[in-house]
Order: sequence, then C-alpha cells, then structure tokens
Amino acid sequence: MAINDIMDLDTFKLIVRSIAESENLEAMGNRSTQLIVGSLGIKASAIFALNPETEEIETLASFGLSIDYLNKGPIKITKSKGWTSEKEPVVINDIRETDLLQYPEQTKQEGIMAMISIPIILFGRVIGLLRMYHHETWDISKEDVDTFSVLAEIIGMAMMYSRILNALQSVKDSVNEVHSIWLQPKSR
Amino acid sequence: MAYLKILLPFNFTENDNKALDFAIRTYAGHEDAHITLYNAHTPAPDIDMRSDPVMERMRSHLDYLLKQIFDQENALKKAKEKLLQSGFPSDRVKYIFEPSKKDIAGDIIDQVSKGNFDVVILNRKPTKITRFFTRSVFFKVVSTAKNVTVCVVN
Repeated sequence: MAINDIMDLDTFKLIVRSIAESENLEAMGNRSTQLIVGSLGIKASAIFALNPETEEIETLASFGLSIDYLNKGPIKITKSKGWTSEKEPVVINDIRETDLLQYPEQTKQEGIMAMISIPIILFGRVIGLLRMYHHETWDISKEDVDTFSVLAEIIGMAMMYSRILNALQSVKDSVNEVHSIWLQPKSR
Repeated sequence: MAYLKILLPFNFTENDNKALDFAIRTYAGHEDAHITLYNAHTPAPDIDMRSDPVMERMRSHLDYLLKQIFDQENALKKAKEKLLQSGFPSDRVKYIFEPSKKDIAGDIIDQVSKGNFDVVILNRKPTKITRFFTRSVFFKVVSTAKNVTVCVVN
C-alpha cells in the first residue's frame, strides 16, 4: 500500500465518538478495534495493557486476530523488540524485512504483512499499546502515525477514567456493605 | 427429573480451556449435568445508509467484519465438540452465542438469572493487569449473582 493518509477526519471522529459513547472499557476496546479495522480496511487491531510486574503486555481488546495467534504465548516486553521503550511508535512496513518480532513464524502464518505499534502514554508513562496489523505491506504516512498517536492518547485517558470509575464503584460496594447498626448512635 | 444446569462462559483463552477441562473432569460422568457454553461478541456496526465516505468504506469491509464474528461462533462450536467427544451426550450440551449487551460480567450475570443456572464456572488469573482497568469478572459475578454456585478455576 502506497503512502497516503487513510485516517481522515471523518474516520477519526467516528472512532473517537464510539470511545466516548461506550459504557465500559471492554465495550470501548471491542468497538473501537472493530471500527479501526472496518473503516481502514486493515487486517486487525488490538489494544494491550502493559503489566509492569510480569513485563508482559495483555490483550485488553482485539478484532481480526485469530484465537491461535492471540494464544501464541506471552508477549514479553524485554523480548519483543517491537515494544517501544522510548515511547515512540514502531512501524514495521514489511515483516519479511525485520528482526523486531518475538513470534515471526506465527505472525507470517496469521497473514500479517505489516504492523504499527503505538504506545499508550499517560502522565509520561507507557501503560499500553495500540496495534494495527495489515495483510499487505504498509508505507504508512507520518500524518497517519500522528493521528494514531492521538487516538492512543484518547484510549489511555479512557483507560484511566475507567480505572477511577472502578475504584469509586469498589468504595460504593464497601460502603453498601456497612450494616446500619454501625451508623446508629449508641443508646444510653 | 431435576437436573444440574451449568453455565461455562468461554472466551477462548488458555484459562477458559482449563475451565473446560475442569467441567469435563467433574461433570461428564454426571447424568443430571447439563452444560451451556456462553460467549458474547461485539455485533457488527450499524451501517448508515446515507452516502458518506466512511460508511461506504465500512460497508465494503462488512463481509470481513461478519466473517470474524462467524469464525468466533465456529470456535465456540469447537469447544462444544470437545465436550461431546469427552462423553457429554448431545442433548446435555448447548451453546449461546449472542451480541454483548453490557460488559463480560454483566452479560454472565444476566445469563445466570435468565437461564436459572445452578452452577457457573469461571476462571481467574491472579496477576492480570487488565483487571486494573476493567473490574474483575470473578468479583463482580460472585458479589452480584444470586442462588448460584460459583466454581473458580485458577
């Protein structure tokens, strides 16, 4: 695929609107990855969360990747050179000409020819990745990479908003479990 | 005859396969055990029929989007097949594949109550970071679902 912008403003608006309208993070992730694939005509898209404890990335949502590919094994950030420690996007135009992949054979078998990996950064820390997979080689434009980076930032904010909402829900659940006897004044 | 209705939410992960194996080991020999595999998928987007470049593109890729959902259902059928091959008679195994309405936990809770299930088999991976962002399915189901035995495969 030649260099030209595939992510126009209308497509961007559609995806961002689906993020804003989603009731929970699962729905947001599933819907936005589906819309990215459907509107751009690429093979697949996925959102990952970074686990700093295990140094692995975990799938939060995906669309277009096979079950076998998703279950191919842990994606260690220390082994996956496609991981971006410098908080910069990684563009693999042609997977046949790269040594950046942790699972090159499985990637070929999956029918992936190109991959774009965009870090999801929040407060200066990488908390996840937004990845796009193409079934043909992909000379992505700098403008498209920039647009995907903005999209990744919006996804990052949605992830943190969801986290805060979950924390609030947990507090509410705990408060609801307080028996009313503890709230009544002691009788003399 | 009263029988035991078991719900097994299945999302094709390694842990889901462990839960499936647990169900086979535990219930295949029980004549009163009826098992239902459950998976909720993201439905294909509504395509606006007005002339719009994005919708035009979406429409042209709709077959691909629908094929992904079709493949997901086929994968669920394979899990059902595994149950049948492990000794469950066909009249005691079924699957539900439907569009997601809430989140994973919410959809499971709705199924438990709608289908009057006696047992729900969940799996749990303790160190998952995704639970930091989405609420624990296990916790939400255990704290919300009523009149059901919850088995957890770790």
